Amino acid sequence: MSCRDYQHQITLLLYDELPESSRVELETHLQSCPNCHDAYESEKAMHSVLAEDAARWSDIPSDLLVESRKGLADKLDRIERNRSRWRLPAFSVVFTPMRLLESVALIAMGLALGVYVSNQRQVIPQVAGNPAQDQISVIPRNGTISNLQVVSADPVTGQVELAGEISQPLRFQGKMEDDTVRSLLFSALRDANNPGSRLKAVEMLAQKPTDESIEEALINALIYDHDAGVRMRAMEGLQRFADEQHVRAAFMHTLENDTDAGIRVKAIDALMARNSRDVELAKSLEAVTKKDDNPYIRSKGLEFVGTAK
Amino acid sequence: MEAILKRTAQRVHESDDEKLLIEQAQNGDREAFEQLVRRHDRDILRLAFHMLGNREEAREVFQETFLKAYRSLSRFRFESSFYTWVYRIATNVSLDHLRKRQTLKEEISYESDTEMNPDRPALKETLAATTYYSNPERRLYGKEVGEKIREALKTLSEKERLVFELRHYQGLRLKMIGEIMGSTEETAKNYLFRATQKLRAYLTHV
Repeated sequence: MSCRDYQHQITLLLYDELPESSRVELETHLQSCPNCHDAYESEKAMHSVLAEDAARWSDIPSDLLVESRKGLADKLDRIERNRSRWRLPAFSVVFTPMRLLESVALIAMGLALGVYVSNQRQVIPQVAGNPAQDQISVIPRNGTISNLQVVSADPVTGQVELAGEISQPLRFQGKMEDDTVRSLLFSALRDANNPGSRLKAVEMLAQKPTDESIEEALINALIYDHDAGVRMRAMEGLQRFADEQHVRAAFMHTLENDTDAGIRVKAIDALMARNSRDVELAKSLEAVTKKDDNPYIRSKGLEFVGTAK
Repeated sequence: MEAILKRTAQRVHESDDEKLLIEQAQNGDREAFEQLVRRHDRDILRLAFHMLGNREEAREVFQETFLKAYRSLSRFRFESSFYTWVYRIATNVSLDHLRKRQTLKEEISYESDTEMNPDRPALKETLAATTYYSNPERRLYGKEVGEKIREALKTLSEKERLVFELRHYQGLRLKMIGEIMGSTEETAKNYLFRATQKLRAYLTHV
């Protein structure tokens, strides 16, 4: 075997992909060939640096995993809803060739008579059959149609089937105990453009943070919301759980990253109040707070290390 | 790395009931599909996050991968493991994103600090100091090394990058990488060799 072949094997050796017999042969060669030995040392050094880099990437941010899972679940929900709800076979009897001719004739007559035909949209009531499919065959006056697709169109019979989505204004009333209300509040907290709406949503949810899904929504708001008022309210709702591991992690993240000093102060106060004997936390907290530009936070960090000992 | 290899071994034991879950999911059982997702989603997200280097695109790749799997699950014929099949989708989606990015001539925006320091010592010296991470004062310096590695990875061809990513960062065996690529273990070996040669050449000359 040539030195190039052996050097090829060095890569496999370092990745533990070399068969035993080849490994022994390579190791023997490395002892007698200075060039290959140098190549081995050099590649081993690079491998070590790259391994350190891989170790840094081995854990993914848990909030990213939560977000990604949630996003996927939402999209799967949407696909399933579309599958079951938005087939509109009711259109199927509208456009037969004869009716098209009749329509053209009527329009011509109407124009000739100077009559303005204001609404040519015809909607036939839903075909009786399978109410379980929950199909909508009447387009609401205030609804907006999107993603319209022609599912099938038969030029011979003139039958057409369309599918799409309709969105329309929503108004809903209910109590917090109602799953739908809670679910809508989660959406409002996550998606509402108006910070005032998000603040109202977070205030309602923060009243009952004992539910796991509410706690998760509050953590997301604390970390991601652009509005400091919303983040502060989320923090207040969570502070009594500052001894729970994931809430503690969220508070540490806030302490390290939030631009609002008031929120960071709340975070350190809550962490200290709920974890007064945790020496490990105190050390991490000190490392984070000593870089803070707020003197109160820096002094609190030092104080915590002192009291936790 | 050991943790990754351990997870790989665990996956083998899980393959028995995976078949049942796949069949249930093929019959429209959403819960079964979600169980399949939960078994592999961390690995897929790790792949996407490292390949793309930012959260937004990682999330997109993650969702696109599993939505594609969901839509085409009925065509899964058990010719490979579900894990290999999903990884194949994920690598294709990741590469598509990288290609689009290249077309748009966008810079890869890694979340780490990308400020360059002209006074930084040559990486060659760092490579010699293999224990640099043991010294806390050099941790920041390690971050700069990470940035250089990101740059070096950009010099690899698509397949070299893919094989290196799957072997080095995801800890998959070359045999499985060959399957994911629709090729052989031998081909994967060659790409790994070329990738490490290129990386070594790049990293020892900056």
